[in-house]
Amino acid sequence: MSGTNIGTAFLATLKRDLLISLKRRNDILNPFMFFIIVVSLFPIGVSPESAMLRQIAAGVIWIAVLLASMLSMDSLYRSDYEDGTLEQLLLSSVPLYLLVFAKNIAHWLVSGLPVILVSPLLAYMLALPSEGYMTLVASLLLGTPVVGMLGSIAVALTVGLGSRGLILAVITVPMSVPVLIFGTLAVQNALAGGSPLGYLALLGAMLALTISLAPLATAAALRISMN
Amino acid sequence: MAGRWQWFHRLGSPKWFYEKTTRWLPWLWGAMALFLTVGLVWALLFLPEDYQQGHTSRILVVHVAVAGTSLSFFPLMAVAGTVTLVWRMKLADMVAKNAAPLGAWFSFLTLATGSIWGSVSWGTWWEWTDSRLVSMLFQFFLLLGVISLRAAIENAETAARACALLSIVGCINVVVIKYSVDWWNTLHQPSSPISMEVGSPNGPEFWVATVVMIVAVYLFLAVSLILATRNEILQRESRAQWVRELALEAR
Repeated sequence: MSGTNIGTAFLATLKRDLLISLKRRNDILNPFMFFIIVVSLFPIGVSPESAMLRQIAAGVIWIAVLLASMLSMDSLYRSDYEDGTLEQLLLSSVPLYLLVFAKNIAHWLVSGLPVILVSPLLAYMLALPSEGYMTLVASLLLGTPVVGMLGSIAVALTVGLGSRGLILAVITVPMSVPVLIFGTLAVQNALAGGSPLGYLALLGAMLALTISLAPLATAAALRISMN
Repeated sequence: MAGRWQWFHRLGSPKWFYEKTTRWLPWLWGAMALFLTVGLVWALLFLPEDYQQGHTSRILVVHVAVAGTSLSFFPLMAVAGTVTLVWRMKLADMVAKNAAPLGAWFSFLTLATGSIWGSVSWGTWWEWTDSRLVSMLFQFFLLLGVISLRAAIENAETAARACALLSIVGCINVVVIKYSVDWWNTLHQPSSPISMEVGSPNGPEFWVATVVMIVAVYLFLAVSLILATRNEILQRESRAQWVRELALEAR
């Protein structure tokens, strides 16, 4: 197996997944709309006053991102499982974790990135002071891939199951807690006038750790699920 | 090579485990009863009142023991999971399968005893600013996740390996969650330094009672896990000759 072959397979998987997502716009659009709807509920449910909203803005956006990513992850390997693509990926001579990583990147590009791009607008609607924008976006950029890749393990474990019900949530929510903590702490620290770099560095460290380990775990999980 | 690893291969045989534990169990039961009696009687009747907390400090003897034990479930399940994935040892999975509900129960007991103690000492049943409460809660959720994954997968072997993988990932995660929640914020008093002086706030009369109780709870864990695993062995091996003979003998 030459190096170019692996690179080609990686890019081909990435391109294929992106193309499929573009054809199935609902899979992208639904979690995105869900994200905006969840955020817009908080001012109504908690308090419309900007003094109150300002305090909870970062946390609300982060929680909505987590919920939306759980919604979008549900379909991560489903169609590949149903049409047999997953079996072909497993049989391929290219290391499975690389292909999984390509799929994770594609999924993040269509589900994570749009949410991040719209987050400053929602932050504005939640009266987050402008000092917090950059940090919020940076924390989302570093944190959402972590959530996506951890969730990918849980999805891979449950891929063949008819009714996964709450399993996905029960597994991924506790795993996302550290990301949520450091993401919101970074923003709060920036608002308080401190430097958020320490927390962002921790998020970066988590990202490095998940990039190196999570695709391996997902690949193992897929092999288990496919028997 | 064969000699050195023989014990390990024997461990893989459910029959060997069943026969060994038949001999161990009476001793474990006895030791558990002894430690539990000594620990409880000491904590409830003889432990002097804490100079600040009064009688409520007695709850801590149980709480600390249960909490300490509940932290050992994920490492236990991760080790058993590794053995399942690498050597496909049936016994390891039987242990892991029964450890998950026990672990969830212990985590719940930790939260419950901690809440009861907190309601008196802190004046609140639940406190989000306390990092140990929060990380224990998420450990509880993760254990529920392992249990529900096991329940959702019909094929027993797939379930075993899926849960093994989840336990390993979960074990790493529990550590990350623990430290991130610690940094997030903590008002929980750090572990109190123990003291050798009788009559001091953390003197021997308190921590020795706690140690006795920790041993008692670990023995309880061992006994429960062994009993559950033996049950599992009988169920899964019900077609084996030795299980049939055992059933006939019992009749």
